[in-house]
Amino acid sequence: MTFFRYIARRVLFTIPILLGITLVSFLIANAVPADPINVNLPQSQLNNPEIVAAFRAEWGLDKSPLDQYLTYLGNLVQGNLGRSIKTRQLVADDIARFLPATIELATNATVLGILLGVGLGVASAVWRNHWIDFLARTMAVIGVSVPVFVLALVFLSVFHAQLGIAAGPGRLDFTMDEPAMVTGLFTIDSLAAGRMDIFINAVAHLVLPSIVLALYVAGLISRVTRSAMLEVLGMDYMRTARAKGVREIIVIMRHGLSNAMIPILTVIGLSYGNLLAGAVLTESIFAWPGIGRYMFRASTSQDFPAIMGVSLLIALIYVVVNLVVDLLYYFVDPRLRAN
Amino acid sequence: MGQHPLLVIGVIVVIVWIVAALLASQIAPYEPLAQDVRNRVQPPSLTHPGGTDELGRDVFSRVLYGGRITIPAGILVIIFGSLLGSTVGAIAGFLGGVWDEIIMRVAELFMAFPTIILAMAVTAALGPDIRNAIIALVVVWWPGYARLMRGLVLKIKTNDYVEAAYCVGAPRRYILVRTIVPNCIASVLVMTTLDIGNAILTFAGLSFLGLGPEPTSPEWGRMVAVGIDYFDQWWTWLYPGMAIATLVIAFNFIGDGLRDIFDPRLR
Repeated sequence: MTFFRYIARRVLFTIPILLGITLVSFLIANAVPADPINVNLPQSQLNNPEIVAAFRAEWGLDKSPLDQYLTYLGNLVQGNLGRSIKTRQLVADDIARFLPATIELATNATVLGILLGVGLGVASAVWRNHWIDFLARTMAVIGVSVPVFVLALVFLSVFHAQLGIAAGPGRLDFTMDEPAMVTGLFTIDSLAAGRMDIFINAVAHLVLPSIVLALYVAGLISRVTRSAMLEVLGMDYMRTARAKGVREIIVIMRHGLSNAMIPILTVIGLSYGNLLAGAVLTESIFAWPGIGRYMFRASTSQDFPAIMGVSLLIALIYVVVNLVVDLLYYFVDPRLRAN
Repeated sequence: MGQHPLLVIGVIVVIVWIVAALLASQIAPYEPLAQDVRNRVQPPSLTHPGGTDELGRDVFSRVLYGGRITIPAGILVIIFGSLLGSTVGAIAGFLGGVWDEIIMRVAELFMAFPTIILAMAVTAALGPDIRNAIIALVVVWWPGYARLMRGLVLKIKTNDYVEAAYCVGAPRRYILVRTIVPNCIASVLVMTTLDIGNAILTFAGLSFLGLGPEPTSPEWGRMVAVGIDYFDQWWTWLYPGMAIATLVIAFNFIGDGLRDIFDPRLR
């Protein structure tokens, strides 16, 4: 019961955070000299006062900022995020269209990054100051240092253009039809539709962007894994386990890694949230129709409703990811369960 | 020094890039903006060691000059971000109570956005140019320093010598500025070295998205973005890309090395 009360309390606490986010994004969008009219109306119509007035009235730009903000909040309470100035669609519908592409990419990249990063980090800690450690740490620094947009171009150039062994930009080949929308995740929707050909194509297109993002994620994770493991490896219970004659691999994985999981889970959650919200560079190189590119288009066209909608979405993503991470702590660490 | 080969490599690479940027006008074989349209997108050769770009400009010369934009931009972001953040954080930690709550809640709101997304929104709103990109990154960067500084001040505030300063009747401002802050500076400096590679990376990312310097300017991220249209002419984007990568790797080697020295637990 306390478990559910804990979740309910966490969910309640998100309301002031979300309110704050709407305020910050509204202020950023409004406290600037730029006028959305200049970006969103063609030059020929800017001189026509009637069209300009109609545009202002349509988007509520003729009202005072306070009125605009209160109107926004009023609509938000009813679950209405408003309509995008740029795409003319409901922001909620836009998000539903762009988010699955990002979820698919971010999830694949994170899973790959965890496998690689935890592996490297554990190896690095176990063979501390050995050349393996040196190599793994150097790779981690390089992973977090090389700009994703440069790595993406190098990979596309080598594996797609030169060697022809990887699929290019986009979620599918141009000749492929998108699978019928169920979840919006092409790998799942294609299987649901029984289209093996689409599934294989979708996976092929996921490979390069996932690896590019995964290398960055692995860099972050392996650094944290290494330091968390080093702390645990020096503990008395590790010596005890070895003295009992437990096999070394079990000592390291079960006695070591599972006790080092808390900081590792934290960094995994953080980087997953970051990928879901901010993979704009990778998305733009791989022509990936995700939420990062949507946000980019919204910001460059002063599309207030879309900017605020995505900001709220991002905050919500962080809240959910943090909550899930906290719940995982609870399962990983029996001491927390006792309390 | 022999125990930290990566630190040494990092220092050397950073020095090479800074010297290259400072002496660009002496070393570069061509003017960074000089066009030669008849020799556009030529592969690397003896006359153009880095090849030429879409307007026949010399890629090698542009990469050398590029350091003059990217390196100072990253450093400025860190300087202003750490000064602003530390000041705000020190005030929050020192005053405590309501001020602490207000300041830290605001900082958390800024931290709730991913770096590049918030920077993107701010730059797009202010209008894309170098100055605004730097302002945007400062807006993104200060909360991290505010949080660090607040934590440090809270810890140091409880020390006996601070208590002693109160007892001899020192004014509050004196205690904060002369007694507490000097003890925080080392930690903040370590964080700045760990951070500078990241600042450069994010600046180059903004610039890549077209939210930094003007399109013609020889900025590395911008050059990579323009080079995408000439994808098969790899030299147009690979050299500026390598410039960003090597510089950021070098700064991160330095930051990691310093952290190892200051925090031997992780060695």
